[in-house]
Amino acid sequence: MLEVKNLDVAFGGSEVLRDLSFTVAEHEFVCLVGPSGCGKTTLLRVLAGLTAPTSGQVRFHGQTIAIVFQDYGRALLPWRTVSGNVALALEARGIPGAEHAGRVLPLLQKLNLGDHADKFPLQLSGGMQQRLQIARCLAQEPQVLLMDEPFGSLDAITRQELQDEVARLARDERRTVVFVTHDLEEAIYLGDRVIALAANPGRIAEIVDIELARPRSQLATREDPRFLQYRHRLFKHLAH
Amino acid sequence: MAAIFPALVLLLWETLSRAGVLSEDGFSRPSHWAPALVKALGDGTLLTQTLETFGAAFQAVLIASILGIALGAVLGLFRPLERAAQLTVDALRPIPSVALIPLSLLVFGFSREMSAAVAAFACFWPILIVTTASVRGVDPRLLEVGRMLGFSSGKIILKLALPAALPGILVGVRVAAGIAIVVTVTTEIVTNPRGLGHGMTMAAQGLQPDLVWATLIWIGIVGWLVNWGLLRIK
Amino acid sequence: MKRILWGGAGLGLFCLLLLAWKLAADAKLLNPLWFPGPDRSFAKLWEWIATGALWQPLGATVWRMFAGWLAACAVGIALGAAIASSSLARKLLQPSAEFLRPLPASAVLPPAILVLGLSDAMIVFVVAFGCVWPILLGAIQGFRSLEPRLVEVSRLMNFSPWKKAWAFQLPSALPDIFAGMRVSIAIALIVTVASEMLSSQPGIGYLMLVAARAFRSADIFAGIIVLGALGFATNYGIQRLEDHLLRWRAG
Repeated sequence: MLEVKNLDVAFGGSEVLRDLSFTVAEHEFVCLVGPSGCGKTTLLRVLAGLTAPTSGQVRFHGQTIAIVFQDYGRALLPWRTVSGNVALALEARGIPGAEHAGRVLPLLQKLNLGDHADKFPLQLSGGMQQRLQIARCLAQEPQVLLMDEPFGSLDAITRQELQDEVARLARDERRTVVFVTHDLEEAIYLGDRVIALAANPGRIAEIVDIELARPRSQLATREDPRFLQYRHRLFKHLAH
Repeated sequence: MAAIFPALVLLLWETLSRAGVLSEDGFSRPSHWAPALVKALGDGTLLTQTLETFGAAFQAVLIASILGIALGAVLGLFRPLERAAQLTVDALRPIPSVALIPLSLLVFGFSREMSAAVAAFACFWPILIVTTASVRGVDPRLLEVGRMLGFSSGKIILKLALPAALPGILVGVRVAAGIAIVVTVTTEIVTNPRGLGHGMTMAAQGLQPDLVWATLIWIGIVGWLVNWGLLRIK
Repeated sequence: MKRILWGGAGLGLFCLLLLAWKLAADAKLLNPLWFPGPDRSFAKLWEWIATGALWQPLGATVWRMFAGWLAACAVGIALGAAIASSSLARKLLQPSAEFLRPLPASAVLPPAILVLGLSDAMIVFVVAFGCVWPILLGAIQGFRSLEPRLVEVSRLMNFSPWKKAWAFQLPSALPDIFAGMRVSIAIALIVTVASEMLSSQPGIGYLMLVAARAFRSADIFAGIIVLGALGFATNYGIQRLEDHLLRWRAG
């Protein structure tokens, strides 16, 4: 679905990403993990088409890429209701207004926002706002869903809830996901594959296939010996 | 860069006027404004009128400040009084200053005091509101110190509350000064034998379109300068 | 509960002041030629309402004020959106707008009379001229300051510039636009009344000026009450409109 070949990104003389190459297959859940400053957000933005690479190629075999930003408050339209925000994605796809209600409500219910359809984003908690952003991105029917540290600003409990929700949605809707995080355990918990990036400049340190059974559970999976082995293996890449 | 657009407008105006598209009686033309402006400045009429306008505005700000700061300080210190006064303020403040022109004419006739009174009404409200807020924002501990030292209420206001609230109050006075100029000119346009506004009206009635436009430009320049100057006094 | 109590106290103070006015007028402390008591003023106002003499001048004043203000809103918002989208346009035009903003709108009256004569159109034009600058500058500011993250969202969803302006920039600009609209509606009232006084066009302003010349002080005060009420009503209306359209803002 997504091919990255020899990607180089430099800003004003400093190299941010060097010679990155990897692919993302259809329906795959790939996690990018690395220490802060390793360029993972930059990489995501290049994949989305928001930033241009200095050299190298990104080949995308689909039409729509959606990206869930970490600062959800700034990525939502505060003047539209919850339904209105999701409807924005439908408007982008050219779907006529009459069909909106029928499509928006089921999606909201999938993300546990069904009761809040007429509220405004500023009336929602952080976790609900992020769910709303995810709902809007899903409404775009993207071939690839990018997620940039989406749970970074949320508390631990909400984070765990949302991890499971995203995992479930990705599986139910057979989505291709590229998920960026600095939390190694989150990456191993969610991913089919984990790409560890080293910093200065950003480059691939290691790629590991995660062979843990799905559906995964916060308690059982995290105590699985293989989970810990993956963790041991990848931990060194997080140190600077 | 900023001058390009005005220059183009003036050029267009001049051209259209010479071509007869814009009537000379009404529109006049830029090349006639400059000599009219210079002449009016030279023979002192424009300057006298400007001083008249400024004089009235100054009077207005003075009166409004004395009344506004005094009442504002009282309201700022005594919360119950402020809350009771809210309705009265909300009822009186929306009265447009020009509505008082007929009354002021009746009382003061055609005089500088007439314009000053109208402008004073307009200036009073911002000063009152800002003073109330500033005094209310004074650290209560400071006022406690005053009470401990046995100061009378008056002394507390004068020696402690007002100086502490001064920065905020000055902002209000600055806003009021800008308002004073605008309202004074407005009042003069409608009435008054002196000042810039009337100068312009006389010129219009005397069928001197050049002078009318020249005065307008002068008012614009003065207005901009006052605005700029007020922003610099910080 | 507390609010009702304070509202009552406020009303009480207001009535106390009215009473003081009445007593001062009756005791001839204030020159009766200039200051009728509140009873005569309200009586005159009532007379205007009862005989229907109020409605035509009031209607004229209101229509001119709103015609000018609405024109200024339309032009200011449209032009502001256009100027905001081009940094060249901004550099060329914004300085001129900033220069014209402190110009007293009524100063434009004599030239406008020269050009347009004594007419309704002249008044509406002058009102619009006075009102447009705060709205224009507010619109430019508002349209420029769309949250950058939302700019990216708009790009990612492939929206056309029109869709972006309508669905993103306009709602985002509304707070700044409303700030300009609130300032200008006050200007609109002032300029309308001043225009009526200067050009002797039928309206509340002219009514009051005529009364002044005839020393009819009760009429003057009735007029002040009407204009105060008009000012209050328009402020209130704009505030409610803003509260509704901007209800999505955090409380």
